[in-house]
Formats: sequence, C-alpha cells, structure tokens
Amino acid sequence: MSLGFYPKLAMDGIRKNRRMYVPYLLTCAGMAAMFYILEFLCGSPAMQSLPGAVSLGIMLRLGTGVIAVFACIFLFYTNSFLMRRRKKEFGLYNILGMSKRNLARVLFWETLISAALSLIVGLAAGVAFSKLAELVLVRLALGDAGYSLSVSPASLVFTAAVFGAIFLLILLNSLRQVHFSGALALLQSEQAGERPPKGNALLGLAGLALLGGAYYIAVSIEDPLSALTWFFLAVLMVIVATYIIMISGSVVFCRFLQSRRSYYYKPNHFVSTASMRFRMKRNGAGLASICVLATMVLVMLSSTTSLYFGTESALLERYPRGINVTARPREGTGADVLRAETAAQVRGKILEIAESLGAEPANILDYRAATVYAQFDGGDIVTFSEENSVSFTAGCVVVFTALDDYNAMTGESETLGPDEALAYMSRGGSVPAELRINGERTLRVKREAADFAKDGDSAASIIPTMTVVVADLDGFVESFPLFRSYVGVWSWHYGFDTGLGAAGDRELFSALVSSLREDAEAVGISVSTSCRSINRADLYALYGGFLFLGITLSVVFVFAAVLIIYYKQISEGYEDEKRFGIMRKVGMTKREIRRSINSQLLTVFFLPLALAVCHLAFAFPMIKKLLMLFNLTNSGIFLATTGISLAVFAVFYTLVYKITSNAYYNIVSGAKRE
Amino acid sequence: MSILEAAGLQKIYSSRFGGSRVEALRSVTFSVEEGEYVAIMGESGSGKTTLLNILAALDRPTGGCVLLDGRDLSTVKESQAAAFRRSNLGFVFQEFNLLDTFSLEDNIYLPLVLAGKSHREMQGLLMPIAARLGIVEILKKYPYEVSGGQKQRAAVARAMITSPRLILADEPTGALDSRSTDELLRLFTEVNRLGQTILMVTHSVKAASSAGRVLFIRDGEVFHQLYRGIDTDEQFYQKISDTLTLLATGGGKQ
Repeated sequence: MSLGFYPKLAMDGIRKNRRMYVPYLLTCAGMAAMFYILEFLCGSPAMQSLPGAVSLGIMLRLGTGVIAVFACIFLFYTNSFLMRRRKKEFGLYNILGMSKRNLARVLFWETLISAALSLIVGLAAGVAFSKLAELVLVRLALGDAGYSLSVSPASLVFTAAVFGAIFLLILLNSLRQVHFSGALALLQSEQAGERPPKGNALLGLAGLALLGGAYYIAVSIEDPLSALTWFFLAVLMVIVATYIIMISGSVVFCRFLQSRRSYYYKPNHFVSTASMRFRMKRNGAGLASICVLATMVLVMLSSTTSLYFGTESALLERYPRGINVTARPREGTGADVLRAETAAQVRGKILEIAESLGAEPANILDYRAATVYAQFDGGDIVTFSEENSVSFTAGCVVVFTALDDYNAMTGESETLGPDEALAYMSRGGSVPAELRINGERTLRVKREAADFAKDGDSAASIIPTMTVVVADLDGFVESFPLFRSYVGVWSWHYGFDTGLGAAGDRELFSALVSSLREDAEAVGISVSTSCRSINRADLYALYGGFLFLGITLSVVFVFAAVLIIYYKQISEGYEDEKRFGIMRKVGMTKREIRRSINSQLLTVFFLPLALAVCHLAFAFPMIKKLLMLFNLTNSGIFLATTGISLAVFAVFYTLVYKITSNAYYNIVSGAKRE
Repeated sequence: MSILEAAGLQKIYSSRFGGSRVEALRSVTFSVEEGEYVAIMGESGSGKTTLLNILAALDRPTGGCVLLDGRDLSTVKESQAAAFRRSNLGFVFQEFNLLDTFSLEDNIYLPLVLAGKSHREMQGLLMPIAARLGIVEILKKYPYEVSGGQKQRAAVARAMITSPRLILADEPTGALDSRSTDELLRLFTEVNRLGQTILMVTHSVKAASSAGRVLFIRDGEVFHQLYRGIDTDEQFYQKISDTLTLLATGGGKQ
C-alpha cells in the first residue's frame, strides 16, 4: 500500500457521498465563518471606539460562546447522518479484509480532509465578510468605520483551534462507533431501527399539559420583573413540551386518525397517515428541533429589531427632555428635606449657565417629590421598614408631589383639600378610590392625575410607580413622623429642551456637570445630570449590538434548521424509494404517489412552522413585558417587526421546502436513474 | 379461451447512446388459458423478470404484443396502467413487498383503498380470504412481527382481494423455509382449483412441480414446455428435473 492510499480512499468516500457531504461541509464552513467574524469584531478597533464598547464586547463574546456550543451539538447531529450511510461501506471494507485499525485511518483522513476543507472555506469567507459585518455593526451603532480590510491572526488561530477540537471530538465519536460494531452490524446498520413506534398517550398528554402551563405563564404574567424571572422557565417548558408533543403526541394523533375508518380508508389519506405515524417518532426530534429553532429565530429577530427601531421612542421615554437634572439631599449633611428654596437656588444657576450658552429652555419639567418604597395592595400602602420587608415583585414606588408643581406643569387649576389627592399609576395601572397609608392616614383620590411627572426614573424602573399629588407636600410629609423616619427620599427634578441641537446639548451638559456640583454641594444637595444626545449614542451602540447579534445567531440557526430539513428529506427519500416502488407495483398511479407525497411533505414541513407561530403568539405578551425593561413601551413596533420577521421567515422556509421536496421527488421516483 | 396471450415478445436494452445492445427477450410466444396454473422456469439471466415486468405492464416490449382478455396491453396508457394493474392483476413477490408502515390488514386493503372502496365493503371481501389463508388472528400485526410464511400469505391475500383475472407470482417461495414453501404451494393449488388463474416465475423445481404446466425459457425464447397430465407431484418433479439437466448440459435446440 502506498502512502497515498488512505487519503485517496477518504477522498473517494467524500466524493461518492456528495449529496450528504456537501451540505455538511458548507455548514461547518458557515459556522466557522460566523465564529471568526464575531471573534474578529470583539477585537476590532472600530468596535472598540464605539460608546459602550465594553458591554458590546461582552455581548459578542457571549455570541461566540453560543455559536461554539451550538456548532458542537449540531455538527455531531449531522455527522450521525453521514456515519449511518458510511457504515455500510466500512462494513464492506471490513469484510474485504481491512482491520479496524485501517478503518480508523480512513476515518482519520476523512475527518482531516473535511476539517481542512471547511476551515479553509470558512475562514476565507469569514475574512471576506468580516469587514462587511464590521461596517454593519458600526453603522447600526451609529458610529464611523474606515473601509480598510484587516485580518486578525489571533482570531484565525482561535477559530481553527475551536473547530479543530470539535472535529477531533467527532472523529473520536466515529471511531468509537466503528470500534464497537462488527462487520455485519456495520453492513446492515442502514436497515436498523425500522420498528413502527408505539405512541404513548400519557406522555403526549403530559406534553400538552406542559405546553399549556408554559402558555399560561406567558399570558398571565402581569409585571415585567416576574416576566424576566419566569421567562426562562417558560422557555424551558416550551422546548421540552415541543419535543414530547412532536415525538409522542403526533403519533397519538395519527393513531386517532387511523381509528376513524371513514377518514383513514381514503386514497389520499391512507398512505400519508400511516407513514406519518411511522415516521413521527423517529423524526419527531428533528421536527421539534426545527420548531424550536424557528421559534428562537422569530423571537430573536422580532425583539432585537423592535428594540433597535424603537430606540428613539425608548430614548424619549427614558430621557423626556434634552437635559435632565435630578437633585437629592446630600448624604451626611443631616438635611433630608429638599426645600423649594433650595431647588430655586440651583434652578437659577442652571438657567444662568444655559442662557450663557444660548439655550432657550422649553418644555420645562420642574417638580419636587418625596418617594417611598411600599407594598401596594388595593388601596393600602404599607411603607418599607425593617419589620415589614417588601417582596420585590409586589412592591411599588410611591411618589408624592405638590399640587403647585402639578398645576404649573399641566396648566390646570386644580384645588385639593388636606385629605384629598390626585393619583396616577404608571403603565396604565388602575388608581384606587382611597389610599390608606400605613393604616394611619387616609387620602381620598379626587380623580386620576395627568401623567405630568414622566421622568426617566419611573420609565427605567421595573416596578410600577404611583404618583400622588397632595395639596401641601412639605406639610404632608411633616405630619408623618413614621413616614419620614422610614424612607422618604426627597428629590427635585428639572429638565428642559434647549433648542441647541445635539452638539449644543453636549456642550451644555459638560458645562453643567463641571460647574453645578460645587454650587449644589454648597446648599447641601447632590446633583446628577443626563443628556439625551449622549445617551442616544450609548443606546444605539447597545441596541445595535443586540440587533447585530440577533441577526448573526438567526443566520446560524436558520442554517441549522435548513440542514435538518435537508437531511431529513434526503434520508427519508432513500428509505421511501423502495416503499413507493412497491406501491407502484400494487397499482398506485404516479399521480396518486405524487399527491400522497405532497400531503405528507406539507404536513411534516409546516407542522413545525405552525407550532412555532403558536409559540410566538403566546410568547408575545411576555416578550412585550420584557421589552418594557428596555424602555420599549411602543408595542406597535414590536407587533410590526414580529409580523415582518414571520413573513420573511415563511418565504424563506417555503423556498427551502421547494428545493428539498424536489430532491426528495427525484430520489423516490428514481428520476436520477432514468 | 386464452386469458393471456404473448406473441413474439422482444425486449432489447440499449445503452443511452445506442452503443451496446442486450437482448433480454428474443421471441417469446405462449398463452395461458382461463383457470390454468402455469410456471415459467429458467436460469438467472434467462429473461424471466423482464418477461414478468412486461406481462405486468410495468415495462414495454420492443417488439411483439401481450393480450390480456383480448386487450392489447400496449394500448393501455401509462397513466392508466396502474389502475389497470390494480383491477386485473394480483402480485406476489419473493421479498413479499409488504409496506412496513401498514398492519397486515391495511396492506391487504391497499389496492381496494386505491380503488375507492368503502371500509364496510373491504371488510366483507377480506374476511373469507383471510379465513381461507389462516391469517385472521394476525391481521392487526405489523409485517416485522410475523414470520416469512405469514407475510407471504398476507401478500397472497393482497393479490387475491381484488379478484384479479390473473395472479403473477415472482419467485414466491424464494425467501421461505421448506415448511412455509409447502404451505404456500398447497395454497396456490387450492386457489387454482377454485378457478384462479396463476402465472408463476420460479427456478425452484419444487415450486414448478405444483403447477399444471411448466414453460422453460432459455436465451430469451420459450425452449420447451411440460404438461402435468396425470402425473403426481413427485413424477412431475422428476420430469422437470430431467428437463433442467438437459437444458444445463446443453441439449440441442429445438
């Protein structure tokens, strides 16, 4: 045997199984390319120069981790298809006198060749597309990037190492399989596992119950914070339920169809129902994977795009004015009350600085508030103290403000008695008729207040905020010794639009930051200032990063889903070839065969998509609440992006269906031989 | 009256660009009378399977014609061929060709379902046949759960359920042990006695000796034929055996 014998044999093996190998190698290459691109972006100077580069870097790093783990699982899965077909060949070699050691050498060369091919193609594609990806990312984050192409050798080496390790694992697994099976077992492995499944009704019902539970959680969650904690549980439940239902539930369903004689014994249902039942259990896992991947893609795409395109509205929500100043009593000064006079002093200073820079303050926000954290239940407000700790999810921020501020800002001329109040609940919550505070004092709610004090704090807060307007704020708080000693955080909020544009806003912001602190400290308060323009850049960098990662991972997952579909169709085609031959002999016309294939393929194909859409529909309210945590309250955007993502995905899916079902037809009808 | 007539059948396979030509059938002429049980014998490569495919309208001859009940098979359109097979022909194959996705019952129903019969009607047809073939107990089982003999009996039931004009059997005993072979041949004889016409292709002398007439094919032509007459199975077996020996040792052509 010459030196080149084994590599030649391995090359032959790959070439002869083109139909199986090419998609596998393409996927390996695609995954490697994606991995390299994300790895490259982590260290790219253009990315480093973006605002929020640190969090972006963490996010991208997370993305590479997800891809590496996913690639490992997925390549193992696809390799199992390859091995199943290759084993027959190995069995033959074994019988013809090749030892297991020789087979191992063939396998080694085969893995080496596929690894080399896919890494070369993958890394080349990665380098080629990395610049594009960088431009897209930087553009999404509203930053600037040059057009020069650069290659990161460290990333190349790292990618090659990670995928080399995955290939090594795959090789070890293949060696294990060949080592532990005899020649005959290898030869017959393709025929193995032909037992029709027995659907387990109990398991199917359990799957349905699990799915129902997950759906119930998803639609019944009221506040965003519990949505966050329950989200991952619900996701896990849905994934497990999808697998159980696809594997067992569908068999039970097909059995039910079979038991209905008038339905089952019809030419167009007969064959497809029986073979679906036969197939579901074995391919249920594949269908469930397609469904889960489709759901993930849809959720990722719709939420990240809606976040990105909702950035402006989130920004307005979080920073209602161009310049926002919040003042609080300085800790350690003893003064825990923020008097109107103190606020006036700081306001004067702010206006002085603003005017010196040519700003014309408009759309002014100006109010003092006393804030408590409390348990809120019906009309009872129990403030937080050492004796009664508030559970975070049932908690509520109660903001007391003065009627004067309210009237000044809303232009109303409301009057209130000492035991009367106006109230407003954030995010559309309902306002009770009476407020009983710590059981000590009762305020009658005269009517619902306008949402005047819409500032960033309540928008950013994940727990609901109730704003209560009282006639005399200082007197009200003074009359509450208990209330005061517990929490009572005083604050003064001041914000305005400058009319200066983004650059002017930034200038004013820096001026305020540098000169306001001393004056504020002199009167015993601390001041924090924010500027919408500056935060816009941060937010775009963050959400742009999310969107980029969402798109990247979607591409990877779609890759995977397509490949699962392809392998499913091809391997089923080889199995069905004989079956349809028999039916033709028994007297099925070509048209009947085609029709039965069609109805089968349609169901098998669109079942996962239908279930994915169902998952998405139920996840919608939950994700909407989660997006509130990111200040996206405009659910119209989310609805639109969900619709668009779904439409795009459906079109793409149909395309893949057409292509793979053609491949299937060609195999079963034996067209390739004619 | 002849139920099946084959006249001068010729089948030539040529490679795509007309390079090499292989003559599978040169000139096959024979006929099968109503109620006859005919076996066709020949060595591997003698053209048996090609002949059967042509008789079943699965393939078309390059020359000659096949008449089933006086109807020329070449006039049956490709699109109608399947329906034609379904209603006129029953098939029994060496490897049973039962669909593993169906229970035996559903396998037997397959041609009827394709013909659009109602379930009640199908059940009425199945029960007498299943009882005669002794498979009533195992109708609900799947092919992988029963023995080869039982599978072949189910396949026979599938072939008979449409009351076809002709049953075509392709090496029906090829995959059976000797006990199942005996059973199946007894079954064929019995079915034939009730008036069913059977045409069987085989190279088992034992299978052929259960038939009423044996045709021998060599090099794409009918070389010889034997009638049972009043012979017992054993005597007929001996005659067939002798003829085969003659064929193999190169006895002169007719």
